[in-house]
Amino acid sequence: MRAARSPRRILERWLFRVGDPEPSPVQLGQRRIFVLPTSFGLALGASLLVMLLASINYNLSLGFALTFLIAGTAWVSIHHAFRTLIHLGVRAGRSPAVFLGEAAVFSVILDNPADRHRRGLQLWPTGSPSPEETFDLSPDTTQVIKITVATHSRGWLQLPRLTLESRYPLGLIRAWSLFQPELRCLVYPALEQHSPSLPFGDGPRPGDRGRQGGTDDFAGLRHHQPADSPRHIAWKAVARGAPWQTKEFEGHSARVIWLDWNTLPPSMDVETRLSRLARWVVEAERAGVDYGLRLPGSSHPPGQGEPHRHACLKMLALHGSPGHD
Amino acid sequence: MLLWNHYPLIWTLKKAHAMPIHIAQRLIDSACQVILGKEHAVRLALSCLLARGHLLIEDLPGVGKTTLAHLLARLLGLQFQRIQFTSDLLPADILGVSVFDQRDGQFRFHPGPIFAQLVLADEINRATPKAQSALLEAMEERQISAEGQTWPLPSPFFVIATQNPSEQIGTFPLPESQLDRFLMCISLGYPSPEAERALLAGDDRRDLLARLPAELQPGELDTLLAAVRAIHVAPRLLDYLQALLTHSRESADFSSGLSPRAGLALLAASRAWALLAGRDHVLPEDVQAVLPAVAGHRLRTGSSGALSAEQLSRRLLEAVPLP
Amino acid sequence: MVRPDMTKPSLRPDQTGWLIAAAGLSLAPHASHLPLAISALCLLLLLWRGLLNHRGAPLPSRSLLLLIVAVMASLVLLEFRHFFGKDPGIALLAGLLSLKLLETRSPRDGRAVLLLSFFMQLGQFLYQQHMGIAALALMGTLAAVGAMLALQGRPEPVGQRIRVAGTLVLQGLPLMVVLFVLFPRVPGPLWGLPADAFNRSTGLSDTMTPGDIAHLSESGAIAFRAAFQGASPPPPAERYWRGPVLSRFDGRSWHQGPTTRLSKPAYTPQGPAHSYILTLEPHNQRWLLALDFPASAPERIHTDNFQLLAREPVRERVRLALVSYPQTPVGLQERTVTLSEALTLPPTGNPRTRALGERLRTQVTRPEDIPDHLITFFRQSRLTYTLSPQALGEDDVDSFLFDTRQGFCEHFAGAFVFALRAAGVPARVVTGYQGGELNPVDGTLVVRQSDAHAWTEVWLEGRGWVRIDPTAAAAPRRLEDGLAAALGGEGRIPLLARGDLVWLKALRNQFDALNNRWNQWVLGYNQGRQQEMMAWLGLHQAGWQELAALMSGALGLVMAVLAGWILRNRHKIDPIDRSWLTFCRRLSALGFPRQSWEGPIEYTRRVSTLRADLADPVLAIGTGYALLRYGQNPADHALLHRFHQSVKRFRPR
Repeated sequence: MRAARSPRRILERWLFRVGDPEPSPVQLGQRRIFVLPTSFGLALGASLLVMLLASINYNLSLGFALTFLIAGTAWVSIHHAFRTLIHLGVRAGRSPAVFLGEAAVFSVILDNPADRHRRGLQLWPTGSPSPEETFDLSPDTTQVIKITVATHSRGWLQLPRLTLESRYPLGLIRAWSLFQPELRCLVYPALEQHSPSLPFGDGPRPGDRGRQGGTDDFAGLRHHQPADSPRHIAWKAVARGAPWQTKEFEGHSARVIWLDWNTLPPSMDVETRLSRLARWVVEAERAGVDYGLRLPGSSHPPGQGEPHRHACLKMLALHGSPGHD
Repeated sequence: MLLWNHYPLIWTLKKAHAMPIHIAQRLIDSACQVILGKEHAVRLALSCLLARGHLLIEDLPGVGKTTLAHLLARLLGLQFQRIQFTSDLLPADILGVSVFDQRDGQFRFHPGPIFAQLVLADEINRATPKAQSALLEAMEERQISAEGQTWPLPSPFFVIATQNPSEQIGTFPLPESQLDRFLMCISLGYPSPEAERALLAGDDRRDLLARLPAELQPGELDTLLAAVRAIHVAPRLLDYLQALLTHSRESADFSSGLSPRAGLALLAASRAWALLAGRDHVLPEDVQAVLPAVAGHRLRTGSSGALSAEQLSRRLLEAVPLP
Repeated sequence: MVRPDMTKPSLRPDQTGWLIAAAGLSLAPHASHLPLAISALCLLLLLWRGLLNHRGAPLPSRSLLLLIVAVMASLVLLEFRHFFGKDPGIALLAGLLSLKLLETRSPRDGRAVLLLSFFMQLGQFLYQQHMGIAALALMGTLAAVGAMLALQGRPEPVGQRIRVAGTLVLQGLPLMVVLFVLFPRVPGPLWGLPADAFNRSTGLSDTMTPGDIAHLSESGAIAFRAAFQGASPPPPAERYWRGPVLSRFDGRSWHQGPTTRLSKPAYTPQGPAHSYILTLEPHNQRWLLALDFPASAPERIHTDNFQLLAREPVRERVRLALVSYPQTPVGLQERTVTLSEALTLPPTGNPRTRALGERLRTQVTRPEDIPDHLITFFRQSRLTYTLSPQALGEDDVDSFLFDTRQGFCEHFAGAFVFALRAAGVPARVVTGYQGGELNPVDGTLVVRQSDAHAWTEVWLEGRGWVRIDPTAAAAPRRLEDGLAAALGGEGRIPLLARGDLVWLKALRNQFDALNNRWNQWVLGYNQGRQQEMMAWLGLHQAGWQELAALMSGALGLVMAVLAGWILRNRHKIDPIDRSWLTFCRRLSALGFPRQSWEGPIEYTRRVSTLRADLADPVLAIGTGYALLRYGQNPADHALLHRFHQSVKRFRPR
């Protein structure tokens, strides 16, 4: 998905040397850091000009000195602002998958390899309002910054271009850098809110045994038979004087449900189907049953566990998009 | 892989440590007579036990998992018990049961097979989660509680569990939280052609094992365990270790990072490995040598796709530079 | 890219504290000239704001602030009668700054306060620019930078913040120096100045009434300095610095007569020459107070009564390079207009002195002897030289000569000239400075207002205008040793002009020398000085283009140093690592680079299998590094030495 090549985009590309997402780590060199005065910086500049004119007019030697001292300090602050950003490293962290509608959280790792503090930093997606708070990086440390992005469609969500900015030390100068580390977040389909319960098909329903999805193996007691193993005798009950009973255990019967695209009503549209299937995957995993997934053109064999759940949801998330993965 | 027996001992050996190092060398030499061509795996297994950790061996049947467990018990002079895990195994089958003694009208605890110094839990993934967790809790707490009473397990207490990764149906793979309790997870793999030839031509391993004398005198194991704890760890090495942990937690390569427990495990295993290599201090190479075994089963691949444990730890290792 | 402020964050107490400090430091020096009521009001407002900040209490309401604005405006109106001009303007600004702090809620307001503070700092230089003020301004700048840091960053201990601010200001200093020295200076005002732009300065005036100079003598302020080049300055008795020449007498005051302006002196300089640099404090008048009698000075105006004048009133400190010839005979051929004016007396008044003149005219045969006789009369009259004479009667001169017999130099000079005119000898009063004190620290002659003096000139046929100082008749020590010696223990002379406090005098000399340098090089740094500087650098007749080019070059240099400092990314690296990295670099040059994650043992083992010939040193260095870095005894000196030596000697091919 390529953004439209608007003039602004082309200008940015040329001016700020930003292009496609870059592989980590991104090093902030001289050419990637830009400095411009803030509105306060401009106001100070105008004030200094007035002060200079006044000094010339009234021939105030100390006026010159003061004006130049403030100007010199302000100029030095440009270098400081530049120094706040230079030689920082930016790496992509992790971005756990989320369901559509939840906010995607991208971790971006900032490396400060230098033995000095970096102060007053802000990191946010370019174009959105900047955060209020700033953060500092201690010498020789790395810090993980979380970038929160709203999700609007399922599938892969690329980490948007980021702005790293500092106005430290004096707030006169804004030094910033733009970059876009290669980092994607998988957005699962939205979970359907009021979906029908799991489609237990041919196999025995867990409900039949009165207990939902127990993975426990103790199932109950039955009358003792002489052939039963003494290990299975409910000794505690015997000790209390109750009749001899034998503990009964379940073998783990292979309860398998298939979550099948084709069993859904034909009137449902694609996204609703995916939402329902996603909800079922989550519920099946919670219920502890083995589940498989069938989509048009692909399927995933039954299983359970976190990797399996992820694989199924990923299949749903990427359904219909060319070039999976 | 990373073996450097020629690391000059004279530089490192101090009188006080000479003993443990000689014992360790003796152990490895003996083990290599029985398990052919698997020195690395044997060293890892030994390091795991010397670091007071439990070992998980994940491999196909018939590559010598059981033999390795027997061998270790033999070498370390430990009292050995084997539990074959099956789907109908009950916790009581492992821990023991209280039996009603009709003579004195009281319950008497009959200790299960877990009351041994080295327990081999064979094919642990065949048992139900309940049975698994009974074992794992005992491993963690080094004692068992039943009928409101606690019985301490013998000391030292090691568990070597094996599981067969190729079997899927009817098995219960250990959940992540349980995997974390094993200090290492190793695999043996097929022997090299030379080793295989020697294996075929040589004596039966079991006979060999039976003939092998216990290497350690009573008390020598304690000396070794104490020596492992005394291995020096430089601040620079802790930096490296921390960098590894941090990277595993931050990088997109991994969906879950290494826990603090994993960090401790890595350090302990590195110490034991250093001792086996005849050194009194840990090198980054020691950490790198044990990293796949210690971290492989704890790391989960991130968004970048499915990777094996070996690949994952390799990726972690190569991402963290050394000065 | 300006983003709208979503919410205005309120200021933290430390931020407000810094703002109050910055504003307070920029307001403090204004107390010396602001009306007391306004100073007090500003102080009160600052204290109030400080208290609110300390307590975390809410700020006053807008209506209350409006009320204070009204009070402030009426105070200004009451004091100055209008709002225009420098003084009321500064007073208003001071009030506004104090008020602004009371409604400073956001960082944005805080920044406005800082800009206002900068203007206030500049404003105080209109009144005073001495070293103390400069130090105060520097502190103010430091506080303002601290406030900017506080507005931008997190709370920090004050000491830490001052250190950071100090670093920034120090780093800005080289740029300031370059700009100060090389920024092309343009003379003169760019636009019309308000009427009250320049204070009435102390100094001589163009009239002389008895009591004027005595009053002036109570000021210890410096009038000018003279640095004699090469030879020592002329003896005290020859140090007459000529100011206004007063030839008209109206019965009470002496005034200047009409003068003719000349482009060259009206005499031919003769005799020994003294060349010196005169640094004149601004006195808002045009006379330049040259030592008698200056040679032709370009760009200046000579008059027919031997004054040296500037084209414009001296409103800033000026430096003049002058040459004077004290023994030049002057006025040999004087115009009759001038001479007749030098004989004119008011029609009435002072009969006794007139009688004295008549008597002299008749008794003394040769007119040129009359002044001597008059001196003798003065001496015999036992006139007393004092700063505080008794009040004089109706006829000043009579009263002084015959009744009170107490007076200061203007009494002596006035009476002397009056008597001579009555005797028919042309004479006039000359005012200016006499004497001066040599500062042993830097060798300059410092002339103060207390050295103000009045003496006389008498025109004698064949000799021209001859200087006669009647004061010397009564108090000869005035010429040799200065005012204090002449007056004895009189308490009214300025503390610093007194002679008995030796240590104080030494201290004063030091301070004066420093002050002189300050005046010369900092305050007096103008276009002329800049040109001198350029000439000293070998750049004669430097125009603004050359200056601008030089300035850009110097600025570029300073910025290059700053840029170098930014890009410097050196890490403190310990010697063991440095040796190890050297070793790795050398192997890398051979084509065996170390993987970033490779440990020392594994790397050296790998290399040694690839290059068996290098195996021994490589393995030794690898194990050495591993032991030093990770081993138990990192401080093993023998091993350390061996390791460094091995690396040093390791130069594989």
